[in-house]
Amino acid sequence: MPQITMKGVSKNFGDVTVIPQFDASIDDGEFLVLLGPSGCGKSTLLRMIAGLTGITSGTLGFDGEDVNEWTPSRRGVAFVFQSYALYPHMTVRENIAFPLLMDAFRKWHHIPLVSSVMRWKLMRRPDIVERTNQIAEQLELTPLMNRRPASLSGGQRQRVALARSLVRDPSLYLLDEPLSNLDAKLRTQMRSEISTLHQRVRKTFVYVTHDQVEAMTMATKIIVMNRGEIQQIGTPDEIYEHPANTFVARFVGAPPMNLLPVRQQGQQLTLEAGATFTHPGQLPADKELILGLRPERLRLQPAEQPGIPVEVSVVEKLGAEVILGCRVLHPGGGQSGDLLRQDLVFVRISGNPHVAIGTRASLGYDAAGVNWYSPQTGKALHPAAAPLLSCSA
Amino acid sequence: MNNVHQIPTRLLHILLVLALTVFGGFPIYWMATTALSLNSELYNSGQVPWPQLANLPSMIAELAQLPLMRWLMNTSIVAVGTTVLSLVLGALAGYSLSRFKFHGKGILGFLMFMTQVVPEALILVPLYAMFITLGLLNSLFGLVLANVGFSLPVAAFIIKGAIDAVPYEIEESAVIDNCPRISVLTMIILPIIAPSMAAAAVISFFAGWNEYLFAATFLMDRDLWPASVGLASFVGQYETPLSAVMAAALIFSLPAVVFFLLIQRKIVAGITAGAVKG
Ligand SMILES: Nc1ncnc2c1ncn2[C@@H]1O[C@H](COP(=O)(O)OP(=O)(O)OP(=O)(O)O)[C@@H](O)[C@H]1O
Ligand SMILES: [Mg+2]
Repeated sequence: MPQITMKGVSKNFGDVTVIPQFDASIDDGEFLVLLGPSGCGKSTLLRMIAGLTGITSGTLGFDGEDVNEWTPSRRGVAFVFQSYALYPHMTVRENIAFPLLMDAFRKWHHIPLVSSVMRWKLMRRPDIVERTNQIAEQLELTPLMNRRPASLSGGQRQRVALARSLVRDPSLYLLDEPLSNLDAKLRTQMRSEISTLHQRVRKTFVYVTHDQVEAMTMATKIIVMNRGEIQQIGTPDEIYEHPANTFVARFVGAPPMNLLPVRQQGQQLTLEAGATFTHPGQLPADKELILGLRPERLRLQPAEQPGIPVEVSVVEKLGAEVILGCRVLHPGGGQSGDLLRQDLVFVRISGNPHVAIGTRASLGYDAAGVNWYSPQTGKALHPAAAPLLSCSA
Repeated sequence: MNNVHQIPTRLLHILLVLALTVFGGFPIYWMATTALSLNSELYNSGQVPWPQLANLPSMIAELAQLPLMRWLMNTSIVAVGTTVLSLVLGALAGYSLSRFKFHGKGILGFLMFMTQVVPEALILVPLYAMFITLGLLNSLFGLVLANVGFSLPVAAFIIKGAIDAVPYEIEESAVIDNCPRISVLTMIILPIIAPSMAAAAVISFFAGWNEYLFAATFLMDRDLWPASVGLASFVGQYETPLSAVMAAALIFSLPAVVFFLLIQRKIVAGITAGAVKG
């Protein structure tokens, strides 16, 4: 099974550079999730690994061997296309069995007319029938076996596409947003199906998504991309707890990490709005900082206690937890000037406490839950006393 | 509520279809009545406007003297040969034109288009000279080749257009499933574009079935004549046995109608399949 290495991989379409430079390696048995906003080059990267799109420069290696020139079939991958790419003239059963038939075909079976006869014969071979039925059952497609793709719903088509790629035994699974069209329940179920499959077959998976829940729950490793460039490589925990830059901090997590531009004076931090509070721990050396705090790292406390002075302006009750959107208050006591331009500070509180809109409060936090970023570069900064504690990339 | 509106609309539909049927069907009806008339009637007293079934035995006797079977056989060979060759080569050419990038693609497309602009009669003489050299004169195979020269570009363009509409991913998916290029074409692409293949088949079949000019020029042996040339040979300088010609023509058009009815379902199925594709 291959370890995949990408060295200086880049991709241009004409004059448009989609991926400027990509260096990463994927270990054998890894469940790698490519996470990024729409149009950032995830599909393109996946297609390059599969050999469907040429690489402009750089090398792609499987176990150290340069595979740039290998044909897709030689690479032995399974691929789930974002657009499903089902064969519209075949039934679901024929679609799923197709990769098995192709594996069973000899060269001369591909002669026109012979191929039709061989397909007819192989569709009745017991092992192929059994394998097809088994995978169909796993993906709840059994009642649809004799339908054609045109008569299926989006989610059903997606499952057929998944079944078709899982039916073989490839060394590398490439999945391009395979769950994007499923409803919440099926999605959760499929998520665990795929995770279970990964545990069982122990093959390498590269999984493209822009759904963070999928990324967080399934990945052993995540690559966050933006505009074709790697923003961070790490485990789901690293990505979530210690985003390497403000892009990752904003992209991962819902609601996203609160990023508050502050100016430091000793232990005192001053927000843009003018509010001042004392930081409970070590600070990086820079004067200008961005204070990054996950919503669940913030505590809602009575207004007298030390912390960030706010007024609650949005309350979202989600059942098991409450999300509060808060506006930072001016030192004078009023809300900061431009109401619309100012981002809300989000706080996540578990349980179902009653918080009224308009409540004035102070937000407290622990120094351990803080990520610092430079306002100039957007990169993570580290307090002097705890060097590289949160370094991940 | 709806019904009140529907009745006049339906009536209009029926009337329209009826009118079209009469308009399109009358020549066939006239062929049949002419075939069942006596030549003496046709040339003297004028035609009886309804079929005279009493003349059926004499018509059959008249037809029996003609090598009808032989002619139909030849026509079929030419038509089927033209269709098969046009479709096979057209599929390969259409696929290449649609999917591959190569130098001179634009020129090639232009030249193929030009074959449709040049009238058959214009290249008749050069083609004749060429066929003498190649020894293709007086052979059905040569005739098929000449016909294919005209129907292949059309078939190739129809097929190219259809393949253009097939998403790349379907093909890529097959490639990943270990399917070689030839099977991608025969097992994936061609079945998907079956309606267009059927349309191309109809066009090349009728091009071969109806062709007259090349057949009359290139074939000297009576035994090799297709029906079009055979029928025309009746048109004499002094008298044309009209009823026999019409009877033969009627028989001659039957297989073509059957072929069209068989394949027409495919084309219509394709039109509706496109409408509901999600
Ligand atoms: N064949 C192509 N020719 C030109 N540009 C292309 C081509 N394929 C992709 N692109 C461009 O490359 C960029 C990345 O596309 P890609 O499909 O990889 O995005 P993605 O990350 O998969 O997005 P999404 O999440 O929407 O699927 C896009 O800006 C797209 O317009
Ligand atoms: Mg994509």
